[in-house]
Amino acid sequence: MNIRIQGGGRHARAIRRTSTVLAALALTSVTAVACGSDDSSDTPAAASATPVAGGKLTYATVQEPSCIDPGYDPSTVTGVIDRNIFDSLVSQTATGETKPWLATSWTVSPDGKTYRFSLRDGVTFHDGTAFDGAAVKATFDHAVDPETKSLYAAALLSAYQETRVIDPRTIEVVLTRPNASFLQSVGSPFLGIQSPASLERSAEELCTKPVGSGAFTFVSWTKNRDLVLAKNPAYQWAPDAADHDGPAYLDGITFQFISDDTARFGALTSGQVNVINNVPAANIRALKANGSLQYLRADSPGLAYSLILNTGREPLSDVRVRRALLRSVNLDALVESVYFGEYNRAWSLLSPTTIGYDKSLEGTWKFDAALANKLLDEAGWTQRDGDGFRTKDGKRLTIVWRTGAQLDRDGRGVVAQGVQADAKKVGIDLQYISEDVGTFSQHIFAGDLDIWGGNYQRPDGDILRFAFASDQGITKGGGNLFGLQDPTLDRLLNEASTTTDEAVREKNWADAQQYVIDNALAVPLTVGANLVGASNKVQGLRFEQSSNLTFFDTWLDPTK
Amino acid sequence: MAGVARRSAGRGRRRIGPGVAVSALLVALIALAALWPGLLARADPNAAEPVDALLGPSGAHWFGTDQLGRDVYSRVVHGARVSLFIGVGATGIALLLGCLIGMLAATCGRLVDEILMRITDVLLSFPGLLLALLVVAMLGPSSTNATIAIGLSSAPGFARLVRGEALAIREAGYVRTAVTFGAGRARVYLRHLLPNALTPLLVLALLSVGAAIIAGSSLSYLGLGPRVPTAEWGSMLAQGKDFLTISWAMAVFPGLAITVTVIAINIVGRDLQRRFEGRHPVGRF
Amino acid sequence: MRSTTWWLARRLALAVLVVVGAATVAFGALQLVPGDPVHVMMGGAAPSEEVYERTRHELGYDQPLPVRYGEFLGQLLRGDLGQSYQLHQPVADVIGSQLWPTVQLALAAFGLAFVVAAALAVTTAGRRSGWRRVASAAELLMISTPGFWVGVLLLTFFSFRLHLFPVAGGDSLAGLVLPAATLAIGLIGVFAQVMREGLERALEQPFVLSARARGTGETAVRLRHALRHALIPMVTLSGWIVGSLLGGAVLIETIFSREGLGRITATAIAGRDLPLVTGVAVVAATIFALLNIAVDLLYRVIDPRMKEVVR
Repeated sequence: MNIRIQGGGRHARAIRRTSTVLAALALTSVTAVACGSDDSSDTPAAASATPVAGGKLTYATVQEPSCIDPGYDPSTVTGVIDRNIFDSLVSQTATGETKPWLATSWTVSPDGKTYRFSLRDGVTFHDGTAFDGAAVKATFDHAVDPETKSLYAAALLSAYQETRVIDPRTIEVVLTRPNASFLQSVGSPFLGIQSPASLERSAEELCTKPVGSGAFTFVSWTKNRDLVLAKNPAYQWAPDAADHDGPAYLDGITFQFISDDTARFGALTSGQVNVINNVPAANIRALKANGSLQYLRADSPGLAYSLILNTGREPLSDVRVRRALLRSVNLDALVESVYFGEYNRAWSLLSPTTIGYDKSLEGTWKFDAALANKLLDEAGWTQRDGDGFRTKDGKRLTIVWRTGAQLDRDGRGVVAQGVQADAKKVGIDLQYISEDVGTFSQHIFAGDLDIWGGNYQRPDGDILRFAFASDQGITKGGGNLFGLQDPTLDRLLNEASTTTDEAVREKNWADAQQYVIDNALAVPLTVGANLVGASNKVQGLRFEQSSNLTFFDTWLDPTK
Repeated sequence: MAGVARRSAGRGRRRIGPGVAVSALLVALIALAALWPGLLARADPNAAEPVDALLGPSGAHWFGTDQLGRDVYSRVVHGARVSLFIGVGATGIALLLGCLIGMLAATCGRLVDEILMRITDVLLSFPGLLLALLVVAMLGPSSTNATIAIGLSSAPGFARLVRGEALAIREAGYVRTAVTFGAGRARVYLRHLLPNALTPLLVLALLSVGAAIIAGSSLSYLGLGPRVPTAEWGSMLAQGKDFLTISWAMAVFPGLAITVTVIAINIVGRDLQRRFEGRHPVGRF
Repeated sequence: MRSTTWWLARRLALAVLVVVGAATVAFGALQLVPGDPVHVMMGGAAPSEEVYERTRHELGYDQPLPVRYGEFLGQLLRGDLGQSYQLHQPVADVIGSQLWPTVQLALAAFGLAFVVAAALAVTTAGRRSGWRRVASAAELLMISTPGFWVGVLLLTFFSFRLHLFPVAGGDSLAGLVLPAATLAIGLIGVFAQVMREGLERALEQPFVLSARARGTGETAVRLRHALRHALIPMVTLSGWIVGSLLGGAVLIETIFSREGLGRITATAIAGRDLPLVTGVAVVAATIFALLNIAVDLLYRVIDPRMKEVVR
């Protein structure tokens, strides 16, 4: 099944992608766990052998895109696929530095509104069209064209005014206001440069037959099965951030779409595919024990998977009930049992790899059912009904948590049932309702829920502003689903987003995280991670800052 | 749905074989589990104890525990209610709708017959599971809606059968006699047609309970069943299959529960069928 | 001959009605599905107001329902199935590309079920042996076990444990084995029973007696003479068979991560992809209607007395 929703509600998805772009510093912790007890080199990617060209890689991924026009579609998997087909003006290293790619150099005007790029010579698109300034202009204009109905790329260019082609090798991009993250945006696969000739085609063709200048060319896409890319042998314009120049090592990449967890893992262990993502946590022990496989993981930065609480209506308008809920969940035991220690429990709304993470929160709000019971008694929920739930004035203490059926993945439904069972132990009737996307979006817009659970991938603490600032309401395209109006948070978060003082920013973000826990505005649950399993043959597999995989430096070791 | 007529000479009274007896006992037991699950399993089916997750079968947990440490035996017992509810409810809906449409078609003249039969044709032309998917999408996932969905998708088959049955009986001697002797049409249909068409139908219905249970668990398996944490065999199996290599019990027992229940119902149903010389059932799923 | 032509013309006209009816049911059902179709269609992304309105307009959701239905019907009668909302491709292309894998699966499953069921029927009909008991028990087990459960078990043992067959998809023959076997298992029990009864009835016929009298061996009698007659009830089942195969494909394609019509339809229903869902409904209804006509035509040829029954 095509999983089309990432976090929750209609907003989650766009935000999650922002991660690839807004990454300022690489905080993605990449750890590679070697398999086999005698193997001492712990990074398979850094094996001493010299890369060998040749061979095709098969990557089984849980998601299938609906359209791979980077200017239109916002899904993570589209970014991962398009990264191979399209080149961007700039590239980013794993440490978040911006390096040349299709642009050899650039300057920024003093007012921060004009970027002047010098473009690389000798680049050709897969259809033979030569790359020049007009291609950049066509790509950016395509992204912001209302006809394109872009769901993400246009948002990356939100301050875009125009592209001026000074000469074929020089362009200027003019913005309406300064935008510190503009270069990161331009480096995103969603603003990968498309062949201007191909952009003349219909939306359907753009969605299904992309033409870029990347290291791999598009070959075919069979819905519900696979998408095939082949090496571009003429490729001589590798990004400066890559480890090698010239064409890619792999002859081709096949993305297989296997949404079923068990089948995807089985496909890896039986050697049918070389790499899989979203390894089911339950299978990681088997993966580590398998001498012919390797396990790689990268923690995802951003908002940890959390429950955001609706403080605008009973019963969560009472801070004592919210605190009781926060303390009623035995997270350590729950996360350990559901994820076998592969995901960490969260202590803050931000995941530990996010810029601005406040470590001091760790250990400050341990599981305490007695405290939860006491708080609920204080709040007046003292009576019990026949099912053992607390009541007040004859009304049961009911909290409604809604989610879209497609969001129930990565064991989240199981975590939800664990939270539900723990809440029941202190007398809270927590209803977890998994509904279809249409009904769910209706409820979100009507504010008819007490809990929203989800995560956002993003590099820094600014995600807190998106989720809590009063000007980020849902109708304005923000993530403040419950219309929270909190002057303290507004001040902290808005100041953090405008200040140039790093120290102020960090302090404000830390204060905001503290404030969220103190007032129990949310219940952080788990820290997300990209869990990847691969055959030992696969070398040079890289994570981007966002924790997405890249394949340009990847090669297959024929000796294994 | 197609019924294959089988009309052989009566076989007289049959003794109840051991297989049938065991099956009947099992069906009674499952019905008991559905009505009073607490009698068979004392543990709370939804009480999570993460420390005890994924245990194998033992004295404390006969069928082991799931990934939240819930008692699988208790969940299987409590799951009987949803499965039987869907099986019986869906069949009831199908039977009721089928009788209504079938009788109307058989008795209200050619035009009504033609219209109703074309409508059933339309519904029959959807593969059963797809029709059910469509209905669940429309109503939202829950056990009640799954029941309605399955009931609706099996109704056209019943309608056809009832119509055929009613047409055949209409021509039978005793009905003609009744009409000749001046009995009112409605009265004849109610007193003669319906009861005579009903016997084979009820037997068929019992057999299609099994098919409906399977259909219900299929919908749950696809994530369109009752809301969590409600114990339901199909969704338990769907969750358990991800742990087959670690803890086989989690998937195997719910799977067995479905199979055993349906087998028991089918054995009892077939026995009754032989007694009543009815028809072979063929579910739509 | 003239009567047959008329009959055929009438049946074809009725078939068109059924197809339009099926499309209407699908269209109507998706109108009643809760939630804003534009939001659902965008897969939960956050469109700007402008993009939202534009999409809404392009899909015609700013028009009143009767107008949309009229346009939908007009399109359908012109043979245009429209453009899939989610896949950004013409529905005809999507169905065209997904039909073959499903047909492959269905044919393989049907063939397998047929052969196994025929073997069971031929070896057990009219005999009260231990083997018949075993066969009957196996048939009962197969009828009573949900397909997804069988699929999971086969996958676990033959793919994950023994690595005999690929785990997911692929258009190779090996990749077809387990899905087809799973789908077939659901059919074998029914097929075997139907064939056995047909066979038992055929074995009581005079021509069998005369064949036996001529000294034809029992196996030869069963295979050469009786089986052919036993297959007639199978024709009656054809509508059910096609429905089971297509419905079963939804589950099987999901479990085995295969491409195909079943899976794409399930996704389309979940994603409110109206044109794709109605397109599949039209295709399924067409297959069903044509099949019914073919079956009834066959009956008219086999047995002219059936004319009255299959009006």
